[in-house]
Amino acid sequence: MVLLSVDGVECRYGSVKILENVSLSVKEGDFVGILGPNGSGKTTLLKSISRTLKPYKGTILLDKTDIYSMKSVDLAKHMAIVPQESNIGFGFAALDIVLMGRNPHMKRFQMESEKDMAIVRKAMNRTNTWYLADRPINELSGGEKQRVVIARALAQEPKVLLLDEPLTHLDMINQLEIMDLVKGLCHTERLIVLTVIHDLNLAARYCNSALLLKDRKVFAVGTLDEVLTSKNIKSVFQVDAIVKKSLVTNSLYVIPLSPQKPSLARKCAIHIICGAGTGTLIMKALVDEGYEVTAGVLNMLDTDYESAELLKIPTVNEAPFSPITEQTKRANLEMINKAAMLVITSVPFGYGNLPNLETSLEAVKRGVRTYVIDEVPIEVRDFTGGKATALMAELRKHGAIFIKHPSELPTLVNATHDLMELRKHAQTEIPGHLKNEPKAITEPTGRKEPR
Amino acid sequence: MTDKVESKYSKRSSRWKLILLLLIVALVVAIIFCLNIGFAPISFSDILTILGKQIPILNRSINSSAVSTVNETIILQIRLPRVLAGALVGAGLAAAGVMYQGVFRNPMADSYLLGASAGASFGYTLAAIYAGSLALNFFGFGIFQIVAFVGAVLTVFLVYFMSRVGNKVPIATLLLSGIVVNIFILALQTVFELRSGKALIGIVAWIAGGFTNITWTNIYAVFPFVLIGTVLAYFFTKDLNMLAMGDDTAQHLGVNTERVRQIMLLTGSLITGAVVSISGVIGFVGLIIPHMTRLVIGPDHRILLPTSAIVGGIFLMLCDSLARIATGASELPVGVITALAGTPFFIYLLRKRKTIYSL
Repeated sequence: MVLLSVDGVECRYGSVKILENVSLSVKEGDFVGILGPNGSGKTTLLKSISRTLKPYKGTILLDKTDIYSMKSVDLAKHMAIVPQESNIGFGFAALDIVLMGRNPHMKRFQMESEKDMAIVRKAMNRTNTWYLADRPINELSGGEKQRVVIARALAQEPKVLLLDEPLTHLDMINQLEIMDLVKGLCHTERLIVLTVIHDLNLAARYCNSALLLKDRKVFAVGTLDEVLTSKNIKSVFQVDAIVKKSLVTNSLYVIPLSPQKPSLARKCAIHIICGAGTGTLIMKALVDEGYEVTAGVLNMLDTDYESAELLKIPTVNEAPFSPITEQTKRANLEMINKAAMLVITSVPFGYGNLPNLETSLEAVKRGVRTYVIDEVPIEVRDFTGGKATALMAELRKHGAIFIKHPSELPTLVNATHDLMELRKHAQTEIPGHLKNEPKAITEPTGRKEPR
Repeated sequence: MTDKVESKYSKRSSRWKLILLLLIVALVVAIIFCLNIGFAPISFSDILTILGKQIPILNRSINSSAVSTVNETIILQIRLPRVLAGALVGAGLAAAGVMYQGVFRNPMADSYLLGASAGASFGYTLAAIYAGSLALNFFGFGIFQIVAFVGAVLTVFLVYFMSRVGNKVPIATLLLSGIVVNIFILALQTVFELRSGKALIGIVAWIAGGFTNITWTNIYAVFPFVLIGTVLAYFFTKDLNMLAMGDDTAQHLGVNTERVRQIMLLTGSLITGAVVSISGVIGFVGLIIPHMTRLVIGPDHRILLPTSAIVGGIFLMLCDSLARIATGASELPVGVITALAGTPFFIYLLRKRKTIYSL
């Protein structure tokens, strides 16, 4: 059993620590993703494992041998590196490049033997590059070049394969092909594979464990399920993200929301009626604007329910895939009554969630300022035989404001909020330009956007 | 198609040997051709007879009675050393050019860029002013050659150690240091030239480069440097190939990059110092010949180094012969010829196969 063990590694540039106390143990057949934001130490770690940057403290053992005590030619028999961008000059043919992978196994004056040629040919067949053999490397596309470099790494017949952001500059098909290839090699050749990778979704899909770095230290290490959580992503990348298991690939996938903004704390509640993911970005946007957001009624397991949980938004909820009961409907109305504004997203309506529209109508009648996002016409998403469409018409009649696109919402909501604040506090005259409340779609006047 | 590729690669070694053999034949033919050039008309058959007489065993069967001793002296004592010096200096400069370009992955790199020519010129200038009358002979090197050689090698070393950070030498730093040191030495050179008085004419003529006063002792002194240096460099040609992939990649393929770089720099500067000391500053050869050869023969240093050396030798030899006869009584500096003859050909090659250069 081949084992790569990194133990208490600390790296420095001069006196500046660029990696602190990293420990990691990888066995053959493991495909480890090294994750983390820019400047967290990912590439440094890879450099110290590849014998390019000697650690200030700590050891890196390959099969119980310190790699820094080995000659570079001996290490090259066991470890191959696919660099971030292959700096290739002077127009060698692809086959020349791959033949260089045989160098650690050859003596100084040896020409390549038939055995070397056979190994190289096999490596190039595996990476589907043999047809490029006599093409100059600088005439190949990014994906072809990367496959040639991987073939060279394979020609070294290594036990450990290190990749430094192998997918940079590659398109979707090439990214998938390269990852499929590496995953396959990891499995069949029992390689130890470590890759620095920025795409969390590809990491989740292909790697079987991960190391998450933050501020030059290990933040989390383990299986993808353990490492790739919303909480970890928030702490390390400062991004709210939804992490779900894909039923298609049976691996986790990450939906990043926009990065967190410093909130203004507006002390004003807004209730959102949504579902099926239509409310996620709206909830996020309003939370970012500093509002106290509530939502309901939502079915558990619904995407919007999970987003609300992630954003710590109070909800009124119903059992999964169940129609809204009288009880939850009432709870929802109570929650709306505490809110200053109500937002209804372009969620489809069926008999299950129709009560949400009925509740909304009651709220509008009581004078709650209501915004309806009418991105998709109600007729298209009405599965109640016209009942939802009729309720929408009622809402419009009672003063709900219909807007065409969710991006208009924050501006309108902010204007409404500011007006309410003025009415509340200032007994004095309201400035003329704020007298008219914002109308649908029209640009609110007089509000100065921070630039 | 792919099987063709494989057989092409398996026959590569013998193809390379054939190329080298053909180039050596071309070199010999070029030497004989150049010996024919000059004001005294000496026929090819006389030249072959004179040369044949110098070869043991073969000389028994050669009847040299028809060849005048004057012609023999012209060929053996005047033309042959000069022709061989051209070949030797051209080979040395081209081989050093391959080493520098390979080590620095930079098409602009040659030994002159790292200060070899400036150092040699400055050394020569000092010797011309302060030690011109000193008669000294050290393994065939006179005082001027010794000082020029030391100046060239010292300057390259100075540049190398100046740009050393820890135990690494970043390429950009090295090239920048080279440029700066070049400028500095040139300034010093100007100061000393202004104070040199009568010696100035000699200094200017030497810096322009040429083979006017070549003797056999010069050849004997320089030959070992070029031969041993090139053979030593050949041991590292595979490493140079991998260095073309970048330092990190070369290291990951098992190359001790820093050691290779030191050896190549040392070898290259010794070769350059030696040839510059007998020829003065001849530009263009070290920079352009490796490029020309690469455009035709490909980037593999295992074949690039020996072919560049031979092509460089032939090229400079022909240019020098042209310099001897081009303008009648007074000679043109050979550097002028190398530039005039080489540039159009290089541009032609570059235009024809520009895909190779994506730098």
